[in-house]
Amino acid sequence: MSIVAGCDVGSLTSKAVIMKNRKVVGSSIIKSKVKPQESADKAMCDALSSAGLGFDDVQYCVGTGYGRNKISFVDKRISEISCHGKGANWLIPTVRTAIDIGGQDCKAIKLDGTGKVENFVANDKCASGTGRFLEVMAGVLGIDLTELGACSSKGRSPITFAASCTVWAQADAVKLLNNGTPFEEIGAGINAAMASRVAILVNSLGIAPAICMTGGVAKNKGVTDALEKIIGHRIQRVRKADPQLAGAIGAALLALENMNGRGS
Amino acid sequence: MRPEIREYNFDWMLWTVMDTGYKAALGTEKEFRRVLGYAPYFSGIIGSIANQGEPGVTFLKLAAKYYENIVKVHERGKKLALTTFCFSPAILYAMDAVPVTLEVLTAFAGLTWKRGAFDYLDYSVERGFTETACSSQRGSLGAYMAGLGSEIDFIAIDTAGICDTNANAFSFASAYLDKPFYQLNFPAGLTDERTKHYHRDDYKALIAFLEEQTGNKLDEDKLREVLKELNRQDEMLGELEEMQRLVPNPLPGTFNLFIYAGRFMFAGWPEYTELLKSMVKVVRQNVEDGVTGISSGREKCRALFFYIDHFSLNLRMWQWLDLHGISHIGGILSRFYSDNVPYTRGREEEAYRIETGDLDMMIDSIAEMNARMPMVRSIRGPYDAPYMWLDDALTLGKLYSADCMIYNGTPGCRNTWSNVKLIAKDLENNGFPTHIMYADAFDDRVESWEATSERLDEFFKLRRLV
Repeated sequence: MSIVAGCDVGSLTSKAVIMKNRKVVGSSIIKSKVKPQESADKAMCDALSSAGLGFDDVQYCVGTGYGRNKISFVDKRISEISCHGKGANWLIPTVRTAIDIGGQDCKAIKLDGTGKVENFVANDKCASGTGRFLEVMAGVLGIDLTELGACSSKGRSPITFAASCTVWAQADAVKLLNNGTPFEEIGAGINAAMASRVAILVNSLGIAPAICMTGGVAKNKGVTDALEKIIGHRIQRVRKADPQLAGAIGAALLALENMNGRGS
Repeated sequence: MRPEIREYNFDWMLWTVMDTGYKAALGTEKEFRRVLGYAPYFSGIIGSIANQGEPGVTFLKLAAKYYENIVKVHERGKKLALTTFCFSPAILYAMDAVPVTLEVLTAFAGLTWKRGAFDYLDYSVERGFTETACSSQRGSLGAYMAGLGSEIDFIAIDTAGICDTNANAFSFASAYLDKPFYQLNFPAGLTDERTKHYHRDDYKALIAFLEEQTGNKLDEDKLREVLKELNRQDEMLGELEEMQRLVPNPLPGTFNLFIYAGRFMFAGWPEYTELLKSMVKVVRQNVEDGVTGISSGREKCRALFFYIDHFSLNLRMWQWLDLHGISHIGGILSRFYSDNVPYTRGREEEAYRIETGDLDMMIDSIAEMNARMPMVRSIRGPYDAPYMWLDDALTLGKLYSADCMIYNGTPGCRNTWSNVKLIAKDLENNGFPTHIMYADAFDDRVESWEATSERLDEFFKLRRLV
């Protein structure tokens, strides 16, 4: 019996996953704290508690994400791109293109049949193609992220947004709200703007089906639907686990490989 | 790129919009409105142009012809040349080649469709052309890179040493599309003998390149005819620009667009002469009546755009200016520095003159004309006129009684962003309230027109200009 863990400390949220024999037995998603170590401690404690296990039960742990170098308890640190690739492969075994939209960056990852990264591209500019963009914009509209996702199905004529700058897009949204534009139209425009930015990245890498999305934004139906329309391919919905956990799941799977001496 | 965008060619779509608009405008007012009702996405731009009366309808006709030439180029046994706005198409017409001017097509996409050239702009980036490059080429270039236009046969430009991002766009296009490429160079000077000789050799090499690509020998008589037509056009432009000095300005704002778009697209066409004639007629009448070209009839302020305009949907920039009583007294795009215009009076050595005596004289004329095209002349700052942009802006500002100066460009314009704040400071010191727009003339996603217009509104009100 093998019990391994993956801990993904991101800029907005921190995630931990406990796996027993390649199955998720515990997980947690928390809002990241100022110090990565504190985020990792809290996420790990919550995940272990949901699995009914203690820290000593974990045989190997891999850390990933933006704060991975500050986590003291991990056995190994691996880049989030590798972890997301591995996690995406576990969530959807046929996946060849994984689109991971995190809090502060966005990546398109090309994978082989085992979840190994063949190639990737990451956003090179501002936050407009990232989770932070949606969070800021949802804040302006005074709605939560789930409601923002639903806007796309309600908005009939999405607003065209300044998609290359979050700050200016925010200013536009405020003006539109003040002018009485329905928030569904604004929300739909926000989702479409986000999808446009991500589409550039995905297309530049070259699309190989099957495609899936990981990261918190994968739960935003408005963005995934808009992205499907732009890239002209269906995006497989992740149902096996929360797509936001993909990085942590990948980290746990890589922990298992490393423990068994198969890690690179 | 969205799959549905791939269903129709980009140049074909522009052609059908302009052609339908022109044909509809030939009908009665009722028929015109009825037809526009069937084209809700394009009615804004067609209506805005056609509202300018005879010049507007003629402009639609010429634009339709320009795009039709591109669409049917190979069917008619001609060659398609990819080129830039600051290269006069006259020599291409003389060689029976059809120019496709990237910046013009991108601007028209922005003026015509709600989503502008967004998909094409993004496609260029997806294929590896940097997003930090100028959007003016990047938009329509994306369409041609995606194979959504008539096949390009060769590329001829003149922006080496003028604008690196422009030249790189065509260099990228040459590599990506695998097309022959000729790039004219510019020496450091503008008016000296060495420069003249350099240009003459360079243009002879260009002609050899064009002969090879088109399979046509240069017909001197045809070139002469095109240049004579250009001369007639310059005379009329001179008259229009002279009348633009009057207070109130008798030119409707959109006439500036017709002037420079025409110059970039139809220079040397007899039909462009007709368009200019119809514009002169309207403006002369306004002068006679002592009225402004602004539709409200009251000119509150005169704004000189010392770089380029904003090509947002349905000519919104021009409409906004008109609505607020602000006269658009031209910009760098509408100034061509022939020896006919008021701003070269007294500095004739800096102007170009069209001479059609022999081939060398014609080549020299074309070289001089291209060296004074928008951006080539003003932004370059050759060694014999290093402060040219500032000097030109100040000269034009004073000559045209500008109340203020406006800068608009694209974020990719290193040539202007490198020094525009210094220039703005100098313009302010010379008594011209100056506003820098942070928008992208060709991509509303950088800053929406709504946000841009609010900033303009603030500027005009806070500086007590309106």
